[in-house]
Amino acid sequence: MSITLILFWFLSVLALFSAAMVVASKNPVYSVLWLILVFFAISGHYLLLNAQFLAIVNIIVYAGAIMVLFLFVIMLMNLNKSNEPKRNKWLNLAGVLAGGCLLLVLVAALKNAETKATLAETGTGNIGLIENLGKALFTDYVVPFEISSVLFLSAMVGAVVLGKKESSPDTAGQSGKSSEK
Amino acid sequence: MISLTGLNLILPQLIIALAAIIVMLSIAVKRCHRFTNLFTLLSFAAAAISVLYIPRGSFGVSSLFVVDGFGKFFTVLIACAGFVITLMSYHYLNAREKRNEEYYILLLLSSLGALTMVISNHFVSFFLSLEVLSVSLYALIGYLKEEPAGIESGIKYLVLAAVSSSFLLFGIALIYMQTGHLDLSGIAAGLSSSGEFSGVFIAGLAMVIVGIGFKMALVPFHLWTPDIYAGASAPVSAFVATVSKGAVFAFLLRLFYSTGGLENKNVWTVFTIIAVASMLFGNWLALRQQNIKRLLAYSSIGHLGYLMVAFLAITDRGMQAATFYLVVYFTGMLAAFGTVIYMSNKKGEALYIDDYRGLFWKKPWLAAIFTTVMLSLAGIPLTAGFLGKLYLLTAGTEVGIWLLVIVLVVSSGIGLFYYLRVVAVMFAGKNENEASSEPVIGKIFPHGLVLTLLFLLLLWFGVYPSSLLEIIQQIASVIR
Amino acid sequence: MTLVYIILILMFGGLISWIIAGKNSSLAKGIALLAVLADLVIIIGFWISVYDKFDLGSQQWLIDYRVEWMPQLGISFHLAMDGLSLLMTALALFLGAVSLIVSWNEISKNLGFYLFNALWLIAGIIGVFLSLDLILFYFFWEVMLVPMYFILAIWGHENRRYAGMKFFLFTQLSGLLMLIAIIALYFIHGKNSGQYTFDYFALIGTSLSAKTGLWLMCGFMIAFLVKLGIVPFHSWLPDAYTQSPTGGSILLAALMSKTAAYGMLRFVVPLFPEASKTFAPVAITLGVVSILYGAKLAYAQTDLKRMIAFSSMSHMGFIMVGIFSFQALSYQGTIIEMIAHGISITALFTVAGVIHARIQTRDMDQMGRFWEQVPKMGAITMIFVLATLGLPGLGNFVAEFLILTGAFKSNVTLTVLAALGLIASMIYALVILQKIFHGERRKEWKLTDLTPREVLAMGCLIVAIVWIGIYPQPVIKTAQPTVNSLEQNSNNTTFVNDTGPTNKMTLKNGDENMTMTRETSTFFLSLNKKGGGK
Repeated sequence: MSITLILFWFLSVLALFSAAMVVASKNPVYSVLWLILVFFAISGHYLLLNAQFLAIVNIIVYAGAIMVLFLFVIMLMNLNKSNEPKRNKWLNLAGVLAGGCLLLVLVAALKNAETKATLAETGTGNIGLIENLGKALFTDYVVPFEISSVLFLSAMVGAVVLGKKESSPDTAGQSGKSSEK
Repeated sequence: MISLTGLNLILPQLIIALAAIIVMLSIAVKRCHRFTNLFTLLSFAAAAISVLYIPRGSFGVSSLFVVDGFGKFFTVLIACAGFVITLMSYHYLNAREKRNEEYYILLLLSSLGALTMVISNHFVSFFLSLEVLSVSLYALIGYLKEEPAGIESGIKYLVLAAVSSSFLLFGIALIYMQTGHLDLSGIAAGLSSSGEFSGVFIAGLAMVIVGIGFKMALVPFHLWTPDIYAGASAPVSAFVATVSKGAVFAFLLRLFYSTGGLENKNVWTVFTIIAVASMLFGNWLALRQQNIKRLLAYSSIGHLGYLMVAFLAITDRGMQAATFYLVVYFTGMLAAFGTVIYMSNKKGEALYIDDYRGLFWKKPWLAAIFTTVMLSLAGIPLTAGFLGKLYLLTAGTEVGIWLLVIVLVVSSGIGLFYYLRVVAVMFAGKNENEASSEPVIGKIFPHGLVLTLLFLLLLWFGVYPSSLLEIIQQIASVIR
Repeated sequence: MTLVYIILILMFGGLISWIIAGKNSSLAKGIALLAVLADLVIIIGFWISVYDKFDLGSQQWLIDYRVEWMPQLGISFHLAMDGLSLLMTALALFLGAVSLIVSWNEISKNLGFYLFNALWLIAGIIGVFLSLDLILFYFFWEVMLVPMYFILAIWGHENRRYAGMKFFLFTQLSGLLMLIAIIALYFIHGKNSGQYTFDYFALIGTSLSAKTGLWLMCGFMIAFLVKLGIVPFHSWLPDAYTQSPTGGSILLAALMSKTAAYGMLRFVVPLFPEASKTFAPVAITLGVVSILYGAKLAYAQTDLKRMIAFSSMSHMGFIMVGIFSFQALSYQGTIIEMIAHGISITALFTVAGVIHARIQTRDMDQMGRFWEQVPKMGAITMIFVLATLGLPGLGNFVAEFLILTGAFKSNVTLTVLAALGLIASMIYALVILQKIFHGERRKEWKLTDLTPREVLAMGCLIVAIVWIGIYPQPVIKTAQPTVNSLEQNSNNTTFVNDTGPTNKMTLKNGDENMTMTRETSTFFLSLNKKGGGK
């Protein structure tokens, strides 16, 4: 068993386990911490696939920036007590059943699958290198790249619109401008 | 590499994207609802007109987009719908919300998502367009601050759409795993080389169907529709009912026709079940509704089910029928929501069927328009709905999918009940407590004008649709 | 183009009178009536001008107007007129004018919209009589529906919403089945010949396998049976006929039911000659059941309009018998029955309307001994009651006599049963006269006799029904070319059957009929017990 393979299995198990813990944790702060672990494990996979740039970006953006924001929000909202409403037992059961069925079907479908390559092309691919990625993004995929910037624009505008406190009617015109950016 | 000559192919999309940014910047300079509305209108019109400057034929824009007659037709359709919704929004927003300008940014952006979706030829571009469309919609649905139901339905849509998107992504990943391609022609090539569909591919397709079915509100994935329609403001509901569903349907046609995914018996059966369930449940559940927006929501589920009949015919005629019916559906739904907007007042929307009691004796023209719309949705002759349904039936009969044809007939029979109920209420006696209610938002200009225009379109398509049919026959054979 | 003008005059007349009615109601009524009368004059003028041509009997079609409508789908705007449609159009305009005159003062609320609906309804009915493109036919078939629904649901009596909904659903759903049959026929013809078209002349020769033919014919027949109100599909009929305002009842009973009979003659028999032969025993049985069942129910009613409705159903049974006997005589009888029944039912509904307008009830148990107060009304009612029961010298007698004579050749047993219906009709028809105009006086009503306007309308009807009763030759002559082609058409197919063992065939058919009758009649007897009070 080569070192790559061992690493692959280790990272996979780590990712799956942490992902399960994100859902299972009662305390939202723990959930976020587990989620950070998931991102680290996935970044490890990126490294194995020779996509160093993606790995770094993933850690910086997701694990670093976004998750820290998440953590702040959760701590500010003081959600660490578990106060979620009691759910219907039968609803839970139905959810578990439906999810289980889906899992079963997917496992059945994947079991007999002939994948194109049985082994991941560890260390050989070069799409994840920053130069190639940049070329791909700015030549073939330039339009979707631009669209994704539009996507952020719409997300931003949407968040501002929804998040803004309703001001009193007479100052609505003035305060709107300042809260825009 | 995309050259500058290629840029004119996506001119409508560029115009709308630019317009969104200009609107945003203009708000930063000075807020002016009238200007913003006018500018949005102009940009929708420009987008529709700019289609004329796209050369004829089918062109690929990198491997991600394909600009062909079909895509152009839908581009125009969506731009026109956007235009109409913008017109209808002006007085509505003036009356109900203080801060209106951002609404237009979001409207333009989500229209942009729809516009890029109809020319998508690749899962990446499809998924990105879908997200652009949805993300703007989350905010649009919750736009009205004073409506708690709006925020609630916005959150509901957010959660459910995110789940459906993740299904879609997983499905796309499975399809990629099997074929090694994300572009539709590549998938088709991968499929034809392997001959039979593998389990993984079918599982992937099934998940894609879940994602698309959610967006189109086909029956097992329809639960969000009535809540979102009822909770969102009427112009946004109109947008969800028309642009959002229509764009996804256009991609569905492209996806399954160009990859040949429907030739698999299982996939076909799944779609048949979905179509039958949508037609029956949509119309059945609409029967008991008192809220007109919920009624329209269920009716739109039924209509999307009708569209699936044409989709399942897998013929040129089916393709044309679907396109024609979609145009009819757009016109009818926009006019229906337009009437709801017209009848709304500062306090709230004219949500309940009782709000329309005796409308015919108060506002005969509005009632005549609404009656025509209802009859068109029900598929009664002299209105476009009849010819649309006739076209669907011919498409279904041609290939002998009798089950679907019969269900279509039966469910439009059920549909008659509730459409007629609305009509009957309008002709019933006068409302007693009308003196206390506020004046309606609707104004003759531009609101009444738009409604009249849609009404005339419904009649025109219903009586002499030759010109539209000709265009549709030209564009609908291109895709296969 | 004349045919287009006839329809357009009505449609524009309707629009104009709707617009004007807000300002000047009598002018609006005048315009509406003028539009109908103008059309009537055009049609009668045309009839006189072509009257000599019917002698030759070679040329069936008098006018044939065809322009492309939606060439992409093979739909054309194809109107044509032969003797049959000429008669029906004239009847529609005549009775349409009468219905406007008799309901002159009945409608006061939203008069303009009523006139609009009435004129568009007449236009739709005439469109049905004239169109020879199947989609156009279906188009007009449905166009009749919406105005009728409005007339019923807005100006109807106490239970109008329910009746309107029921009427609309029954006819619309059955119409959709017909639409599927039309589309299927279109594709079968298209696949056989490569020419995709909805045109009547092209489709008429389509060869169909026995099973397909039967299925498609059933699609058409369901729509027509519902509209005609033949027995298993009749449940909307009494409600709709009863709840309509007088004008609506007239248009519904006298004209709309005739579109179904017309549809059978024009489409079912020529398009599916084989299948209609196969179906004939069932159809005649249904007709006979309707005759007897309708008569029985009519006798049991106390509501005057409901009684007339059931009597109408009974008469529609004769039309079914006439059409599916495939004999020249019975075809002629059917056509005369359509006209005569239209006239007599108009008169009866007018009387019901007139009485209702004066005493605000339709309950015959509260009426009695009216003759003393209103002799004119009584005398006129008597004439039409006698017409309904088939008194020689009046139109219905000629019609029913011809139908039965023709039907006797094709099926003796059922004809005898149908003839029993004549006796039954005598009973219920005389009950009308007895209960309302004679008998005891149950309540003190203050009645006024017919106004000159009403007398004028009824006078026209009397002239018409007597004319048909005494001298039906013009009608027979006008219809002859159509009947010839119908008979030729059915003879062609019998020829195929005749080569086989004919006697066995008929015997077997006869047996089937017998069992069918027994089954159906027991079925309806049990129904009758359940719904006793109806």
